[in-house]
Amino acid sequence: MTALELRDVSKVYGVGPTEVHALRNVSLTVDAGVLVAVMGPSGSGKSTLLTIAGSLELPTTGEVIVEGTSLASMSRNERARLRRRSIGYVFQDFNLLAGLTSLENVALPLELDGVGAKRARVAGMQALEELGMSDRASRFPDELSGGERQRVAIARAVVGDRHLLLADEPSGALDSVNAEGVIRLVRAACQRGVAGVIVTHDAQLASWADRVVFLRDGRIVDQTMPPPGPESLLTPDARS
Amino acid sequence: MSVRHALLALLSEGPKYGLQLRQEFEARTGEVWPLNIGQVYTTLQRLERDGLVESDDEGEEGPQKGFRITADGAAELAEWLRTPPDMTSPPRDELVIKVLVALTLPGVDVRDVVQVHRRYVVELMQQWTRLKDDATDDEVGFLLVVDAELFRLDAVIRWLDAADGRLARLAADPPPVVTGSPLLPPRLRRRMGARP
Amino acid sequence: MHDRPAEVIAAPSSSGPARRAIFRWSWRLFRREWRQQILVLALVALAVAGTTVGTALAYNAGQPRDATFGTANSSMTFSGPDNADVAAARKAFGTVERIDHQSIPVPGSPSRLDLRAQDPEGTYSRPTLRLVSGRFPNGGAEVAMTASAATTFGVRIGGHLDVNGHARRLVGIVENPLDLNDEFALVAPGQADPPAQVAILFEASDHAVNAFQPSVHATSVATRGTLDTTLAATVVLALETIGLLFVGLVAAAGFTVMAQRRLRALGMLGALGATDRHIRSAMVANGAVVGVVGSVTGAVTGLVAWVALTPKFEDLVKHRIARFHLPWWAIVVAIVLATVTSIAAAWWPARSAARASIVAALSGRPSPQKPAHRFAGAGGVFLAIGVACLAFAHQDTPKPALIIGGTIATTFGMLFLGPLFIRMLAMLGRRAPIMVRLAVRDLARYQARSAAALGAISLALGIAATVAISAAAAAVPEAATNLPANQAIAYLEPATGLGEDTNAVQVMSSADVAKLAAKVSALAASLHAHTVLPLSVAINPSSPTVSVDPAQLNASPNASGGSVSIRRVVGGSAAPGAILIQIPASLGRVTIISNGAQSGFQISDQVPLYVATPAVLHRYGIKADQIAKTTDIITSRTDLHGLVVHAPPRDDGAGVRRGPEQWHPTIQHIRFSTDASHTSDPTTLVTVHALQHFGLKAVQAAWLIETPRPLTAIQISAAQHAAAIAGFTVETHQSRPSNARLRDGATLIGLLLALGVLAMTVGLIRSETANDLRTLAATGASSMARRSLTGATAGALALLGALLGTGGAYVALVAWHRRDLHPLTRVPYLNLATILVGLPIIAISAGWLLSGREPAAVGHQPLE
Repeated sequence: MTALELRDVSKVYGVGPTEVHALRNVSLTVDAGVLVAVMGPSGSGKSTLLTIAGSLELPTTGEVIVEGTSLASMSRNERARLRRRSIGYVFQDFNLLAGLTSLENVALPLELDGVGAKRARVAGMQALEELGMSDRASRFPDELSGGERQRVAIARAVVGDRHLLLADEPSGALDSVNAEGVIRLVRAACQRGVAGVIVTHDAQLASWADRVVFLRDGRIVDQTMPPPGPESLLTPDARS
Repeated sequence: MSVRHALLALLSEGPKYGLQLRQEFEARTGEVWPLNIGQVYTTLQRLERDGLVESDDEGEEGPQKGFRITADGAAELAEWLRTPPDMTSPPRDELVIKVLVALTLPGVDVRDVVQVHRRYVVELMQQWTRLKDDATDDEVGFLLVVDAELFRLDAVIRWLDAADGRLARLAADPPPVVTGSPLLPPRLRRRMGARP
Repeated sequence: MHDRPAEVIAAPSSSGPARRAIFRWSWRLFRREWRQQILVLALVALAVAGTTVGTALAYNAGQPRDATFGTANSSMTFSGPDNADVAAARKAFGTVERIDHQSIPVPGSPSRLDLRAQDPEGTYSRPTLRLVSGRFPNGGAEVAMTASAATTFGVRIGGHLDVNGHARRLVGIVENPLDLNDEFALVAPGQADPPAQVAILFEASDHAVNAFQPSVHATSVATRGTLDTTLAATVVLALETIGLLFVGLVAAAGFTVMAQRRLRALGMLGALGATDRHIRSAMVANGAVVGVVGSVTGAVTGLVAWVALTPKFEDLVKHRIARFHLPWWAIVVAIVLATVTSIAAAWWPARSAARASIVAALSGRPSPQKPAHRFAGAGGVFLAIGVACLAFAHQDTPKPALIIGGTIATTFGMLFLGPLFIRMLAMLGRRAPIMVRLAVRDLARYQARSAAALGAISLALGIAATVAISAAAAAVPEAATNLPANQAIAYLEPATGLGEDTNAVQVMSSADVAKLAAKVSALAASLHAHTVLPLSVAINPSSPTVSVDPAQLNASPNASGGSVSIRRVVGGSAAPGAILIQIPASLGRVTIISNGAQSGFQISDQVPLYVATPAVLHRYGIKADQIAKTTDIITSRTDLHGLVVHAPPRDDGAGVRRGPEQWHPTIQHIRFSTDASHTSDPTTLVTVHALQHFGLKAVQAAWLIETPRPLTAIQISAAQHAAAIAGFTVETHQSRPSNARLRDGATLIGLLLALGVLAMTVGLIRSETANDLRTLAATGASSMARRSLTGATAGALALLGALLGTGGAYVALVAWHRRDLHPLTRVPYLNLATILVGLPIIAISAGWLLSGREPAAVGHQPLE
């Protein structure tokens, strides 16, 4: 099942001499249960790709289809509802609303969607438990470590029946052990059937993906083939 | 990679047979580095010759012959653990050479070459990562070896990224062409040539 | 997949839980950001408190009941004991309250004190009497007085004084709570016998009053207008409007900063799928909390301040104020509207936050601001509308709707012009030192918040400037007082002169005059006077020395009297406002009287006529050849033209005196070298030509004593005491109720309000640039740099606010006074200098002094 499809998407910022082509004719399909990594240097347009995929911005040309519906045909409020119900975001450093506890942060999308506070809390608690964060449920964001904050952010991104998880450098400021913990969670979510897109310049992070897409100057220039079985690495001649 | 010191390390835990040593070596390194039994015995013989291990009496050569570490062997092992490997001379890296050659060849898009290698390395990393994903937490040795591979490959990717960035900047703002300029500065060439 | 309950997934999108979640977040944020919130809340509270006090003051400033009418709506005054008219009035109007008046000479002074025979329980006049201490007088041997009158007469309760020949004991201190300037003595009803005037108070329709035909003794008929209450309501309404504008601006400034601070969080909410409405409600909830808490706190603070300040205000408005006589409806409306205003103020930045691109918000980039020239265009349009409204509002009866509309439009105009001025300042600051440049550039770059802050500051200063300028424009020039503070006039007539019997002439033997002159000289010496100028009056040698009341003169020109007077005609056959020189049958002392009082028996602003003796001419630098041969009167006053003058009756030689005739004296206007514009100064002189022409005689009547320094109260009191013993009177500078204090008070309050707003907004703006300060500290900027930055921000806002406020005030006032701009030439320089120069200096210094401290959390990135 295709969760996300970008068809020939271009994005231009500014007009005239200050015109910047952030994306040029990008097409990308992400199926349910698949984690796709988008790699590229700074300024290659990878963050723009993510914000457009997540309906935070509209493309200049081209079409974005989330779960079979084109974003162009939606109103602002419908797109907001789509974000509440189907799309989960994890950003690099700023994810949680200060003033809300971990649990409240996780339950927020559900509550925004009109789910009663009690049921939202139950669902939020469940999401936190799955990430091993249930003992941090009543902590405020500034009482959590960086890794814990990203875990809560992921819990929030997957709470409810989300089908699309979008992460922008989700382990940006974390050390490698914590970074691996975060990406393992994203991967686990994908294995449960969520379509995932992470944007990163970190090859180690990207290597967790089923498919790595290389972006350069707003264009997709290359992507990895489906990986061969890992056994190939264990043949004696691999180390010769 | 020193098989010699790996065997010493295994023997420091207690006396072991040759075959046992081979099995434990492979198990601990997560079967990443295979070892044939002949290599084990050759190495053990050299160690015995140097007085770093000693074997069970005069028993015939074979899988049943036990070895144990000597005091000299333990000292050698302790010395080795703390001796940093030689990292001062750059290794002659095939990938670097390929990219450098691509730079000089007319009609070759270096950035495409870089991207080919990048994709290959990322695919390789994906495979290692898959292995890591399948491993359990108690396979520490295996995880460390995989991490080492991943970090090494990550370093390659970073070098490729840096090269890509440099080339992109070069393409946007080409320096004046000086004919006959050597590809590498003499100092670096000398050091690379100095390596045996 | 999650095994979430199925109904959660299918939950309908009801807004209840969402709203609750948003409110919870706002509330937590409110608690976390309480410092900033307290600032905004304090701003709102301050504005509401100011509005409350202002409203209460405006409501009470206009006299609720009339100081002379009491609760009656009409009054009538008769000269002399006119029982017949009183009886007729009683018959015509039913209940009529009678108050008899006499006057008591004040010892040693030309002033006289009003003596009233009034019933403290009078039907209508009851609100005009209040016992301060002691008791009301009873019977023929008791009297009560106002406190300052008792001081003037030097008596205390229990003491005795002579009241027109009757020894009376002072039994109480009283006051007219509706007019604290009202000085009088009070006796029991019927004890002022015979009365000089009788006033009656009654309730009657205008028609009935017009139909009533009193005898010639009725000197004035007056009905109380009803304009006062509507005017007070208009003022209250206008004040409230301005106060609410102020609340709105202040809150908008605060919430803009707050929205900016929360920009990333709002972007995050948007990314999570919050709709625009959710995002708006997050800010609006905040606005509602701040609005409710702020306006209630402000109203309570304002009421407490009002109660505490009531005595001060009583002193200011010169009547007693009932503390809880307040426009409660207006206060409740103010609270409600202030809440609504702050919600609206929160809504506006919330709207732009909700509309902004989520991606930009997430990265903390504010949405691009509208160009300043577009604002300036709107500002110009608003200003034009405001000016037009104000110009047309100033009709004979002011139009409240136009006044309020004009005020609002003008305020909006100045508000929208703000960004343009900020831009201009930023351009001017391009070559300034780096910190100043950074400060003004920040103001220009964060236009949304700086413009609202500037608006609030300008408004506070604009109100202050408007009050100061209007007060100065309305002020009677200092010259219109009787004498400068360093002058005194010693009159030969005991206890006459400026009182009622101005026309009485006392002819003394030259020996007596010499004796008194010696005493006057001694007095002058004791006052260290440098000038003693003898003044003569023109008298008719054949006139009898009869004391004549000017009211009677006015009513019956044929009555015999002793002097010539000129008075403005208030009513009657002559055109109102014209000046009438009246010379009684027997010519006495010549004075000009401008009768400004309405009640008929009080006379103010007398202009005495002295003889142009060589000494006087020399004193004022007038050469004899400057005076035309045929000139009868020379004057430095410009308002004596168009006189209708009755000729002095002349003895036709056969002992028959003819009645007054039309006399057209030749009046020549001459500039006097020394300031001679005070009412008791010899500003108007009868020439020798007139003396000869009418056969008048110059008689020594007074001495003008001039001292190098203003006379002190002790000197004055000693001089009057000495004069009372010697048998002459001394007139000195009498301070008139001046609005200078109101002017200064308004300036001060405006400055304090503006400073408060300034401090809070600069604090808010600078708290937003904490990152800049951190970077500055990291790049090695000293505390000096921080001080400069804050000082420059505060100073720039203060200067712009002062310029805009004063400019706006002048624009509005010029529109209002467009028919006669003359009053605006009286500029309150000191007050305006305080606003335009003082405030920026205070702001810069305060910013400089208070910002030396290291930012609280260097290197600590606040988590949002």
